[in-house]
Amino acid sequence: MSYIEIRGLCKKFGDNVILDHVDLDIEKGEVVAIIGPSGTGKSTLLRCLNLLEKPEAGTIKVDDRTYDLKTKDRRVKQNLRRESSMVFQQFNLIKNKNSLENVEEGLRIVKKLGKEEARKKALGALEHVGMSDRLYHYPKHLSGGQQQRVAIARSLAMEPNLLLMDEPTSALDPELVGEVLVTIREAAKAGNTTLLVTHEMNFVRSVANKIIFLENGKVVASGAPKEIFGYPNNDRLKEFLAKINMLEGAEYNI
Amino acid sequence: MKLFDWKLVFDQIPPILSALPVTIELTLIATLIGYVLGLLLALIKINKIPVLRQLAVLYISIIRGTPILVQLYVTYYGIPLILKYHNMRFGTNYNLNAIPAILFAIIALGLNQSAFDSEIIRAAIQSVDKGQIEAAKTLGMTGFQILRRVILPQAVIVALPSLGNSLISLIKGTSLAFTVAVVDLTAQGRILAGKNFRYFEVYCSLAIIYWVITVVLENAFKVLEKKFSIPDQPKSPAKEKVEGGVA
Ligand SMILES: Nc1ncnc2c1ncn2[C@@H]1O[C@H](COP(=O)(O)OP(=O)(O)O)[C@@H](O)[C@H]1O
Ligand SMILES: [Mg+2]
Repeated sequence: MSYIEIRGLCKKFGDNVILDHVDLDIEKGEVVAIIGPSGTGKSTLLRCLNLLEKPEAGTIKVDDRTYDLKTKDRRVKQNLRRESSMVFQQFNLIKNKNSLENVEEGLRIVKKLGKEEARKKALGALEHVGMSDRLYHYPKHLSGGQQQRVAIARSLAMEPNLLLMDEPTSALDPELVGEVLVTIREAAKAGNTTLLVTHEMNFVRSVANKIIFLENGKVVASGAPKEIFGYPNNDRLKEFLAKINMLEGAEYNI
Repeated sequence: MKLFDWKLVFDQIPPILSALPVTIELTLIATLIGYVLGLLLALIKINKIPVLRQLAVLYISIIRGTPILVQLYVTYYGIPLILKYHNMRFGTNYNLNAIPAILFAIIALGLNQSAFDSEIIRAAIQSVDKGQIEAAKTLGMTGFQILRRVILPQAVIVALPSLGNSLISLIKGTSLAFTVAVVDLTAQGRILAGKNFRYFEVYCSLAIIYWVITVVLENAFKVLEKKFSIPDQPKSPAKEKVEGGVA
């Protein structure tokens, strides 16, 4: 039995089938990367897991707790949301709160920690992402990379059982991508169970334990980075890798 | 007899101001009703609650499409009528003459404000970036927590200038309250003029008073806007303390 088991996840937008009975297993401490063409349902998959979208069917088991993803029960929804934490492409920091307040918010309001304890945890989380010198900066005073690092601190401070990241570096200027990837790598090393959507293939190759290739709402191939990039055994996957120049001779960077 | 008595214009300002508390009471309570009901209407429209939404649209349309003076009279004559009907139908014993006149004006002005404020509040709420709301949701915050801690503080920044304008037009709207027998600033002025027949001077005095109130309010809103807006510079609380200590 895996730590996290997603079963039969289905999602439609109108008549458009976006996710078609997706099953996914994630072990504790594992980093699973989802790759695939644009518009193929990667974001939707992540968003279904914390109910930003309403799936038509599907269950998720975290540790020994099983949730019906189409539950209507508010309490269950709230509990399910607290299992995971999401890092967005657009950072989505709360604009009227500074870095420290952004990280403290969930700790105080959702986890109901005391002032002192929340402050201590938030400071620790911000230190981990190297943002201790920007505690009182508001999002508009921060670069994209800094905002994303605060957002990662906000997610990690909640101590989620599953960290969801949806293209965390896609909205960044190229020179800022590195600092965020370093932060994510640190989070992975620290043993955070992570489901990551990204186009940073070299990063995926060196950080992910498992790669899922999603196409048209289906898991078409999955395996270790070595298998996916080294010996792709699926035509669709090969085609995709060729398109993004990852089929052969890709350099090992980052 | 002088053609225009300058001195009188200023001399009668204090006696007119004796009615200032009434104008303030009218304005404050009507504003409060406007904000609370306006927020409610805005939320109904934003969340597209069936039936209520259609009612809200109709309500806002009617209020915005009729003069405030007509609304004052409808309230003034309508409410006693309803109570009378209630007395006849259910044998209750409401004393229609005991209703203070100011109540009619407060209700009419409050309802009027709610229609205008609801549109301001709705636009301001919808201007708040959706991504943050999703982030707050995934943190596990409830809808009410998100509204109070994320949406409203940012919507206020957007709404304040328009709410300020709406308040200023309300202050001026209160000058119609005399039509339903409320003695506000304008009514007080007319009473004075009725005695000395210096109508022109009284209306000059009133103009000065309303103008000063409006200027004060405009500046109060500027201060509020500054207070609610996100600081231009990063602000560390430690630094503030040091400055405070020196002062
Ligand atoms: N709210 C929505 N309403 C309708 N269609 C949507 C919505 N969100 C996404 N889609 C569609 O679902 C498909 C998958 O989108 P998405 O999960 O964002 O893809 P990816 O993240 O893999 O690029 C796309 O075709 C997109 O147009
Ligand atoms: Mg996407």
